[in-house]
Amino acid sequence: MTTTLLPIAAGARTRAALLVFLRPDRGRLAGAVVLLIAGTIAGLLAPPLLGRIVDLASGAGTTGEFVLTGVALVAVALVDAALAGLGIALLAQVGESTLARIRERFVESALRLPLEQVERAGAGDLTSRVTNDVAVVAEAARSALPEFTRAILTIVLTLGGMAVLDWRFLLAALVAVPVQAYTVRWYARRAVPLYAKQRVAVAAQQQHLLATIDGASTIRTFRIAGDHSGRVATRSQQAVDLLLRGVALQTRFYARLHVAEFAGLAAVLATGFFLVRGDAVSIGTATAAALYFHGLFNPINTALALVDDAQAAASGLDRLVGVADLAVPPRAVLPTTDSPAAVEVTGLSFGYEADRPVLHDVSLSVRRGERVAVVGSTGAGKTSLAKVIAGVHEPTAGTVDVPAGEVALITQEVHVFAGPLADDLRLARPGATEDEVRAALAAVDALGWASQLPEGLNTEVGAGGHALTAAQAQQLAFARLILADPPVAILDEATAEAGSAGARLLERVAAAALEGRTAVIVAHRLTQAVTADRVVVLDRGRIVQIGPHETLVAEPGPYATLWQAWSGQRDQKA
Amino acid sequence: MKQALTRQRRLIVLSTFLATCHQAGEAAVPFLIGVIIDRAVDGGVGDLFLWLGVLGAIYIGLSYSFRYGARTGERASEQAAHDLRLQVTRRVLHDRGGAETGRLPGALVSIATSDTARVGAVAVAIVYGTAAVIAVIFSAVLLLSISIPLGLLVLLGLPPLMWLTRLIGKPLEARSETEQEHGAHASGIAADLVAGLRVVKGLRAEEAAVERYRVRSRTALTATVRAARAETAYQGIVIVVSGLFLAVIAVVGGILAVRGDITVGQLISSVGLAQFLVGPLSTFGWVGADLAQGRASAKRVAAVLSADEAVAGGEQTPVTPVRGAIELRVREIAVKLAPGEIVGVVATDPAEATEIVRLLNRSFDPADGTVSLDGVALSSLRPEELRAAVLAVEHHTDLFDGTVRSAVALDRAGPATVDAAMAAADADEVARNLPAGLDSVLGDGARTLSGGQRQRIALARALAADAPVLVLHDPTTAVDAVTEARIAQRVRAMREGRTTVLITTSPALLAVTDRVVMLHEGAVVADGTHGELAAGDETYRETVLA
Repeated sequence: MTTTLLPIAAGARTRAALLVFLRPDRGRLAGAVVLLIAGTIAGLLAPPLLGRIVDLASGAGTTGEFVLTGVALVAVALVDAALAGLGIALLAQVGESTLARIRERFVESALRLPLEQVERAGAGDLTSRVTNDVAVVAEAARSALPEFTRAILTIVLTLGGMAVLDWRFLLAALVAVPVQAYTVRWYARRAVPLYAKQRVAVAAQQQHLLATIDGASTIRTFRIAGDHSGRVATRSQQAVDLLLRGVALQTRFYARLHVAEFAGLAAVLATGFFLVRGDAVSIGTATAAALYFHGLFNPINTALALVDDAQAAASGLDRLVGVADLAVPPRAVLPTTDSPAAVEVTGLSFGYEADRPVLHDVSLSVRRGERVAVVGSTGAGKTSLAKVIAGVHEPTAGTVDVPAGEVALITQEVHVFAGPLADDLRLARPGATEDEVRAALAAVDALGWASQLPEGLNTEVGAGGHALTAAQAQQLAFARLILADPPVAILDEATAEAGSAGARLLERVAAAALEGRTAVIVAHRLTQAVTADRVVVLDRGRIVQIGPHETLVAEPGPYATLWQAWSGQRDQKA
Repeated sequence: MKQALTRQRRLIVLSTFLATCHQAGEAAVPFLIGVIIDRAVDGGVGDLFLWLGVLGAIYIGLSYSFRYGARTGERASEQAAHDLRLQVTRRVLHDRGGAETGRLPGALVSIATSDTARVGAVAVAIVYGTAAVIAVIFSAVLLLSISIPLGLLVLLGLPPLMWLTRLIGKPLEARSETEQEHGAHASGIAADLVAGLRVVKGLRAEEAAVERYRVRSRTALTATVRAARAETAYQGIVIVVSGLFLAVIAVVGGILAVRGDITVGQLISSVGLAQFLVGPLSTFGWVGADLAQGRASAKRVAAVLSADEAVAGGEQTPVTPVRGAIELRVREIAVKLAPGEIVGVVATDPAEATEIVRLLNRSFDPADGTVSLDGVALSSLRPEELRAAVLAVEHHTDLFDGTVRSAVALDRAGPATVDAAMAAADADEVARNLPAGLDSVLGDGARTLSGGQRQRIALARALAADAPVLVLHDPTTAVDAVTEARIAQRVRAMREGRTTVLITTSPALLAVTDRVVMLHEGAVVADGTHGELAAGDETYRETVLA
């Protein structure tokens, strides 16, 4: 089965989106930059002060003069620390808040994504984005962004400082630039594809680890831990190998930068040598120039090295913005009509893949308040029909009319959300009062066990919390349905996963939860068909029979056969 | 943490050596700057080129030692992280379980990826930390060769400064720990919401879920901003401390130069060295932070690795050949199965059914009672060997990435067994409808298959294991009635003569068993064939046939 990863934004789009996310913090950002510039200028006063000490030493400076210059040096450090510190803190805050905005927007979009798209991409894609990519971008916002800003400022201002000392020093310093420019281009060409590969490998590793850890119980039961650890090892080793290739590339990158350092330093020293001999500058000035250039090594390395953090962060951002930015189309809002039909399906065809239709020309009209059971053998298209009616999938042909916002789908897949039990239920109705929550639980026969949990309705449930049985989880699903209170409910074998003993309890619960609603129930237990107003029999994607249970049982046909297999004729050897 | 890094000892030592050479080279550069400027005053052009040549040679040395030092250091770090990642995975998958207790799967994944990486990064921190210490010593020696008082100043002044920065770095450790926890929790919540996406969408509760995440994200934001501030304050202090240090060296050196104790060039070298020392000093800063983070992460990793086993003790292996007699006495429940019997178990309380499966595969041991296989208590058997003899499959069971064939065969069952199991579970029909049949790849937990299709493949997997004792819990709940009846017949045929327990209330499955045991309100209330019970027991009829 092919997977289509979720969209990844292109660079330009990411930048535009980033600006939008940054907007609320514009003022802080400007303040941070001003503080950083001021701090950096203060820091750059140090080399000329050191040069002055050298001049004092080569002349005949008094102790007082030395101490005064020393005090100035300390003052410069204090001002630098205070201003730059404030600037960096401010910048980090800007970065963090922007990141928080992005990740919230991301989760928002992810939750609004059409389910189809998420399933095609694999849940691991979303998970890896929400954990790994967020972490990479956070790291960039937290440390790379302030460091990079400061390094760039230092470089620019230092070069300015050298020009102030003597323009020839600036020229000498620029000797290094061609080598650096070449190096960065050389590096970027190799680094971009390598990091892209790295990220894919890391994402695959993450997805695989998640599946392995989620399935730990199954893995133990089937004694396949060795095999699965092996697979984790292989994926992890692949990721490690790619990371190390990245490191090797980086070290070659630095080797080239060392060449640039040497060339520039030799040029600045030679310039100083001849300028001092020609009495054009004092030895203190030459010293300051050499110290300036030597002081550039770290910021240059930092700035250039952060190019790859920036690239990693940029590709992480691309993946976050790719989802955050999706214009998730709102479900078509259909005017609520007075028509007696709550669900009107006309000439519906549907397929997951274009050449494999699973539903053919299905037409069905469900009256308000009616309860319709959909039955048929496995693979007949029952679930697909439920999903299309609920709006999860778009029909390939035909129409489905359901009053917008009025339908809820409860599937056989249950999920208990991690956190307090009451919070889980309040997902369905955020403003629900304690009494409403209790009433919903009571309606699904769950209030008894829920109150007996260690901390009652505040007990942490779900992954990592108190473990609930499948039937209890399903009861919660119905309680959520009651709280959400939609006029139309689609139940897709909602009682199946709980196991057969639980199924009977759940059928009772389901009946309570469906009270007063129009319902389409995908059923494999025919008891649900018996109590329904009408039964729809699906076979290979087509409706083959439709009518009340009593009528269908009486006439020869697929439903009668199904009923026979179900109801007690089990002693016959099939 | 120690253990993971000890394994990388050789790499770390080699890397430290190379990194030290690199740092020594870096320290020599400012020294040479002083020497060259000195020559400007009283040397010739020849001297300039000689010393520039020396500078070039040093550059070659420092460049290469950096290159290989960094590579070995990173290798050590990545390898240590990789080893830990595997240890965590093995611990989670360990046959005695217990690592998942109290942890979200998302948090476990974060421990297996981010935390192990942070522990690995400690290797790099050690390398550069050590190299920085040695660089400081090397600079001190150079300074001592210039002037004894200056050298002493550095040697005696630095340790208290380092101690001071270390002291200030401490609170950062605590901050960093809570910050990371908040971060992990926020991403755990996001992963949990993504996992429950279908439920959220079914209820159209997207907005409520978004709101909930926003609250968590805001809490995490507050924590990280606080941590960032602490870190900034720390960096500011490092700037001030190193500035102070530089000023003292420069002033003292200047005074010495005026007195003629050292040359102007030597003064420049001293100032250059003092300025260079700022590098190693700030290295201590991030090394401290990395060590702190590494330690916080190591704690979490260690907590997983040393988690209590869910089932401790029991080193025996089942007697072979396994006869398959099972006896279960827990609280008021007493069930006895003869070897080769095919028995249905009907539990009116679903929790009881789940409990029995989990007891039989020894996911936990009964607090009150015993379960035994061929007369030996399960709690005295090694879980791995027990599960080879008794395969008890829970109702919720996962399918993994890979082809249908590998999902069913698990690299054990032969083609004939796989085919038979596929046919018995009616999974052959599922495979036929897939593009590449048995060789079709099931991605991401086989989500694209319907519930019934997944169940049938999972059932085929259980049958293909050919275990002496097989326990199935509601294996066909998502399968339609006609198919279920067909599967029941074939499962019976395939398991004939070997102990098989079907925990279910499905009449189709119960009809093929030798006898049925019914549990109600914590006790066995009926025991007989499906036919007898269906005819005569009212509770049974209500539970199974209603």
